[in-house]
Amino acid sequence: MTAADHSEALVRVEDIHTYYGKSHILHGVSLEVRRGEIVGLLGRNGVGKSTTLKAIMGLVHPTRGEVLLEGQSLGHLPAHRVARLGIGYVPEDRRIFRLLTVSENLRTGLDGRGVSEARKKELLEMVFDFFPVLAERRNQAGGTLSGGEQQMLAIARAMMLEPKIILLDEPTEGLMPRMVSQIRHIIHVLRREGVAVLLVEQNVPLTLETSERVYFMEKGQVRHQAAASELHADHEVVHKYLGV
Amino acid sequence: MLEEFLIQTINGIVVGMILALVASGLTLIFGIMDVVNFAHGELFMLGAYVGVVTLAGTGSFWLALLVATLVVAALGAAIHVTTLRPLLGRDPLNTILVTFGISLVLQNYALWQFGPVARKINEPFTGHFNLFYLEYPWYRLVIALLSAAIIAGLWLFLKYSTYGVWIRATTQDRLMAQAMGIPVPRLLTIVFAIGSGMAAASGVLFGPLVGVNHAMGLDWVLKAFIVVVVGGMGNLVGSIAASIFISLTESYASLWVSPSQAIIVSFVVLILTLLIRPTGLFVPTPK
Repeated sequence: MTAADHSEALVRVEDIHTYYGKSHILHGVSLEVRRGEIVGLLGRNGVGKSTTLKAIMGLVHPTRGEVLLEGQSLGHLPAHRVARLGIGYVPEDRRIFRLLTVSENLRTGLDGRGVSEARKKELLEMVFDFFPVLAERRNQAGGTLSGGEQQMLAIARAMMLEPKIILLDEPTEGLMPRMVSQIRHIIHVLRREGVAVLLVEQNVPLTLETSERVYFMEKGQVRHQAAASELHADHEVVHKYLGV
Repeated sequence: MLEEFLIQTINGIVVGMILALVASGLTLIFGIMDVVNFAHGELFMLGAYVGVVTLAGTGSFWLALLVATLVVAALGAAIHVTTLRPLLGRDPLNTILVTFGISLVLQNYALWQFGPVARKINEPFTGHFNLFYLEYPWYRLVIALLSAAIIAGLWLFLKYSTYGVWIRATTQDRLMAQAMGIPVPRLLTIVFAIGSGMAAASGVLFGPLVGVNHAMGLDWVLKAFIVVVVGGMGNLVGSIAASIFISLTESYASLWVSPSQAIIVSFVVLILTLLIRPTGLFVPTPK
């Protein structure tokens, strides 16, 4: 790999190891996401996919290895600094602020970053345009939204940070099939806006369809990567790593 | 009998509002950082002393109130940065020990600096009005109103300001708040400073009714803890409701028993709450 390839990477994860208490969770994970690229991260439960996202976000600090954003090491920066450098995080259980209204949920990422009022309005109009239902419910507490609406809110909230990349952890988990196509649409919207996505999913067809490249994880390591176009849901690689 | 009942109602509300002011700082700090602040009563006491000193120097009660609030808020911020922030993420027992230690240091500092004799804060005005057979001091009503105004200010701050939204978000989910770019360590310091300043303000407001000494924080913090538990740990509205409720119950109880016995009522309420509804009386049933 040449130096030019390195500079292309928006996010580079280099050989990170993490521990939870005494258990070794990540055993040297390496991967990269280029600018505007949609990348899937597949693997069975408990192989460290979510932990990889947390490590990129600075919510878990690796004991070895590092995460680079646009070639700069994030070191042990606290998560709130990482967020402001342009990484948005949509966690597995969505974790919207249940007692805050939809508008207040969005405000958490808008305020205090030195964004002009005009730009704030623009960003709000943009997500209300993508997700009209959020506009209708803007004064409703986040906890009263349906699962799908909460997922939209979690993604919209991350978009308030004007991120270069969004880490999307199992967005379709627990959603009705009808909502899955909505998630597909959201990922397309992000691609159109030039936002890169690192997508952790159990839904293999969705991942293969939306991603450009896919990494496969096993036992705390990335074991394989492939162009999504080379794979299909019953491909032997998919079968090997996911047992489906 | 009806007259006594009404008088006790007014007394209960006045004391309840001061208690609410102390307890809302305590519950705000607990809610956002899971820190049980055992030094809260000493911040109340120090506030009263800063009030005494400023009053002696300037002669203005209102200036004393302002200076005490700001000085103790700054002290609270310093305490947080130097002793609590380094403990972030550790077992809550650590913070309990630390705040308990701080309370001892502050109490003994006050004893050393000001001596054991109680100081007096004079009421800013001494007018009375007739309440049945009593001459009731206007100042007491003003305390209740001022406390209510400060609490209302806190509520508006939490509801509408950026920091308020951040504080509520962080109280609900600290990790996610960080992932949204909210500067959580700085926010926690600010909350600790606000809680400290509110304790100090209540110390100055209440000073004229009781006299200021180094141990005055103990009674208050004990009652404030009862209120915070009864109101639902970390729940602001619950704490305020519980303050009024407990003060009123004590006031009514003192119609039949002596005021020192009436305190028992608070403990009975506390024990019943813990037995029957440990999440707090004034909060919706958790799902």
